[in-house]
Amino acid sequence: MTESDAAAEPLSLHRRAVAAAVTGWLGAHRTAVAAGTWAALAALVAVLAYGAVSTDGFLTVANGKAILASVGVVGIVAVGMTFVMLGGNLFSLSLGTTLAVSAIAFLDFLHLGVAAAAVLAAAIGAAVSGAQGVAVGAFGVNPIVVTIGAGALQEGVVVKLTGGRTIVPSAPLSSYRFLVTPLLGLPFPVYVLAGVALSAELVLRYTTFGRELYLVGENRRAARAAGLRVAGVTTAAFAVAGLCAGVAGILSGSYNQGASLTLSGTYTYDAISAAIVGGNAITGGRGSVGRTLFGAIVMATLSDLMLLRHYGTGAQILVKGVIVLVFVSLLNARRGGSDG
Amino acid sequence: MHLLGDGLGPGDGAPPEAQPIREPLHPRLPEGGPAAANARTALLRVEHLAKRFGAIVAIDDVSLELRAGEIHGLCGHNGAGKSTLVRVLMGLVQPDSGGVLLDGRPLSLRGARDAQAHGLAFVDQELSVVPALTVEENLFLGDTRAGLVRRRSSQRRLAGSALERVGLGGLAPTRAVEALSVGERQLLEIARALHRQARLLILDEPTATLTQVEIDKVFAAVREVAASGFGVIFVSHRLGEVLDLCHRVTVLRDGRVAGSHSVSDLDRDRLVELLVGEAGSEPGAARPPARRRRPAAAGTVSLRAVVPPGWSAPCDLELGAGEVVGLAGQVGSGASELLRALGGLSPKARGEVSLDGRTLPLGSVRAAIRAGVVYISNDRKGEGLFLGRSVAENLVASRLSSISRGGALPPRAVRGAAGRLASRVAVDPRRLSQPAATLSGGNQQKVFIGRAVDRERTRLLLLDEPTRGVDVSGRTEIHALVRLFADGGATVVFSSTDLEELLDLADLVVTVFEQRIVSKRPREAVVPSTLLAEMTMGGPEPVVAP
Repeated sequence: MTESDAAAEPLSLHRRAVAAAVTGWLGAHRTAVAAGTWAALAALVAVLAYGAVSTDGFLTVANGKAILASVGVVGIVAVGMTFVMLGGNLFSLSLGTTLAVSAIAFLDFLHLGVAAAAVLAAAIGAAVSGAQGVAVGAFGVNPIVVTIGAGALQEGVVVKLTGGRTIVPSAPLSSYRFLVTPLLGLPFPVYVLAGVALSAELVLRYTTFGRELYLVGENRRAARAAGLRVAGVTTAAFAVAGLCAGVAGILSGSYNQGASLTLSGTYTYDAISAAIVGGNAITGGRGSVGRTLFGAIVMATLSDLMLLRHYGTGAQILVKGVIVLVFVSLLNARRGGSDG
Repeated sequence: MHLLGDGLGPGDGAPPEAQPIREPLHPRLPEGGPAAANARTALLRVEHLAKRFGAIVAIDDVSLELRAGEIHGLCGHNGAGKSTLVRVLMGLVQPDSGGVLLDGRPLSLRGARDAQAHGLAFVDQELSVVPALTVEENLFLGDTRAGLVRRRSSQRRLAGSALERVGLGGLAPTRAVEALSVGERQLLEIARALHRQARLLILDEPTATLTQVEIDKVFAAVREVAASGFGVIFVSHRLGEVLDLCHRVTVLRDGRVAGSHSVSDLDRDRLVELLVGEAGSEPGAARPPARRRRPAAAGTVSLRAVVPPGWSAPCDLELGAGEVVGLAGQVGSGASELLRALGGLSPKARGEVSLDGRTLPLGSVRAAIRAGVVYISNDRKGEGLFLGRSVAENLVASRLSSISRGGALPPRAVRGAAGRLASRVAVDPRRLSQPAATLSGGNQQKVFIGRAVDRERTRLLLLDEPTRGVDVSGRTEIHALVRLFADGGATVVFSSTDLEELLDLADLVVTVFEQRIVSKRPREAVVPSTLLAEMTMGGPEPVVAP
């Protein structure tokens, strides 16, 4: 707010008093908080660099490939998560489940041919998540509530249909071998991730939908008043997220040669971590696929380092949790300051 | 004249223990108010306060004096400096020079909490009670003296006495605040001020959203509070209420004190004269000759029995192409609601609106935009701009689909469209890639309007307080833009609380008071003092609410 604004702004004293009391500190330290985010990121990169130099076996081509390989599937889910986040809907807590659902569908439909099975599996992912987008965008239900509920619903349907069994491929490996064959020493999902990320970034930058998504995420009321299709954009963002989860599911299902709900693993959490550590605003409107990819690579590198240094699983989870917490706090603080 | 004598004794008489009253209470303050004789015992003294914001002088050499037991009215136009003065008292703005003395001791406030700690309490129409909590929980909210655990019975007793004194004695302390009316919530805030043992209560436009019955209750509570030794500052646009409630009135004009008088020396005419100054009593006074006549082709936009949410009477208007219509109304008058209804933002609005003979569906923003109606909110930050996004994106936000080619949005097309719009509204094209938040208020408003201006299909432009938070030069530019737009054949309807702006910009001035239209006049026939009387009291003669 400029000073002349302050002079002429009509009175809304209580709101101002409360705002001043609550966000006064943040307002005064806004630049410091923004700088803090960069400082935290720099510190993280520095730790990684130190670890890289001091850890045996880290600076090898093989290890580099291992890191990239581990980014593949989770990176694709994270790209999808970015769309939900950019649109101002926090995140979807059911993308991991949708990944498992798509994997099951893909393996079960394989007998129809790889192409048909892949299209069906991806479409199921997009539809399941898109439906949640309708609930969030058109009916204004809280995205966390919707996606938790939808996750449970998907699990219920899967258990009912499969009886809890692991679904095995309905066609021989030869028909989908290319999905699990490394290319130039890198696993196939890495290439898929590259393609998905590139097209996602193009969509965000150079399409009407992409622009609208940023605007809706930045200020939903203004978007509505400007006549933007808030419900449509939100639905589409969730559908894209589901599509990404579907693609990830196809890759994960074929790699594991079998699929059940356990496939969902920690994908949801890892995708959210990647998007947050990459510096996307969880309240929407600011961020990019590039940032998410960066976040995913940072997190994968960290995991790799901890593995090489023989950290236990508990310690690994702990460290990741702390990092996500720090970044969420810093990013939110920055947003709170700018809103005050 | 209603003073303290109004059937209100000193109440239970006992002032809060912590604040002995420094002089006896008069049932009626002496004529002339607390004058120099009482200077040493004045509760609050504001001395030669001045504050500038950049080139704008907000207040200049403002002094006033308030003693315990006094209700002091503070009146003035938008921009007269009331807001700045109150913000200084709240500790939100530091004055450039001059000072504030409480009980004769200089007071330097570092923030809202500090002001509260010094016994200053504030009530305005934006209530700070928490709806989900109970009445007593709200009463004790932020009470720094309360321990973590307080014995329930003593809490109840304290709550009960504070509530009783504001006329909420019948209210169960365990009731949830969300079940209370706006008026009751306001009374609860006053009770909270009592409970916190505040010394000075500042009420800022407290009645804007209340019904008459509620207003009476709030006034009774204010009188009670004053009688128990509080000083009260009552900021209001509603002159009738000021004359009814206050002992003394200070009028600010252009940042200076235009007069400070005991109400016994004032009547409505005198008060209006103080507000508008000498020049205010001639029709179209001190205005440049009308640059435009009213266009002949009325009826391009017609409103028949339109009832925006909360309105007490349907409104009918016939507006012409190229006409600029000013809705004159104070905050809470209903002018904003009318504009929102026309812009499609009020699903509950009723009535019929037609544009060039075609019926305009109410309640859908997209339908309104398709029909060529653009609404520009008075809440530029909340409902207008995408502050974190670039100026270019803000400019093209409403027309992405017309720029795009089959969903694709070539950057060159975006830059081109944004550049054209920027030059149209005189925004520096070099700033197109910067976030909108980095622009000044005036430039932000131009960007916001620019979003609408290029729409060839726009037939009706609705502006809610178009120059709110905009400095003088920005304001001139925005007025020129609005003119330009009207000259292109569109109808413009804007709302404003500002006489200057209404007389500068409007061809037709429609006055809105208490959710209905009270008059329509071409600009040439507008007498500023009459207009002000209508905006603040519903007419030259006060309108008695049913």
